[in-house]
Amino acid sequence: MKTRFLFPHKYRLVGWVLAIPSFILMLLVLHAEFELGFLYYGDGNNIFASDDANFLFNIHRHNFTDEVGSLLLIAGLLMIAFSREREEDERTVKLRLESLLWAVYVNSAWMMFAIIFFYDVLFAKIMTYNICTPLILFIARYNFVMYKDRRTLKNAGL
Amino acid sequence: MKNTIRVERAILNITQAELAEKVNVSRQTINAIESNKYIPSTLLALKIARVFQKQVGEIFMLEEGD
Repeated sequence: MKTRFLFPHKYRLVGWVLAIPSFILMLLVLHAEFELGFLYYGDGNNIFASDDANFLFNIHRHNFTDEVGSLLLIAGLLMIAFSREREEDERTVKLRLESLLWAVYVNSAWMMFAIIFFYDVLFAKIMTYNICTPLILFIARYNFVMYKDRRTLKNAGL
Repeated sequence: MKNTIRVERAILNITQAELAEKVNVSRQTINAIESNKYIPSTLLALKIARVFQKQVGEIFMLEEGD
């Protein structure tokens, strides 16, 4: 069966290789203000240059560690999430879409909870995690469903 | 919807894995159809019927409430 909009199966491995280091990098960026020196751009002499320009082309100086890290993280998670199964068929399509629906519901419920209970810096950090939580929830759910499916077959002894 | 795949497989003496290979799906999918946990697409139903050389209606039938 032809499935549209999915990566080839082998991209899943590429996804893990990209996602795990960039996830760790993003944890360090978010909680330890870690920065990679070579990703610094800017005019060090211009002390009047603003750090908080809003748009790429207005930036005078900036460290791009978080930008590079989150782009790699999203790219990696997409590849893990949306690679074809080795045995792709119409039922994997259904299981995948159901897991995606589940992940969107759970993520939205969590966001509503966070909006009510968390404020200021803590809320901003939770929103930062929200860059990748829908994909992570989907990956967890989909892999759990597929794992359960394989176990059912094994237990049936067929 | 119920189906007679298990019976038809026994007549042809083929396993779930062999049927899965003939219609180009995973073993899990055949297993799920046999245990009424998954309703196949029209395309897959036609392919399965072709393996057993029967009409789709002889293999898949509606149940009350469908």
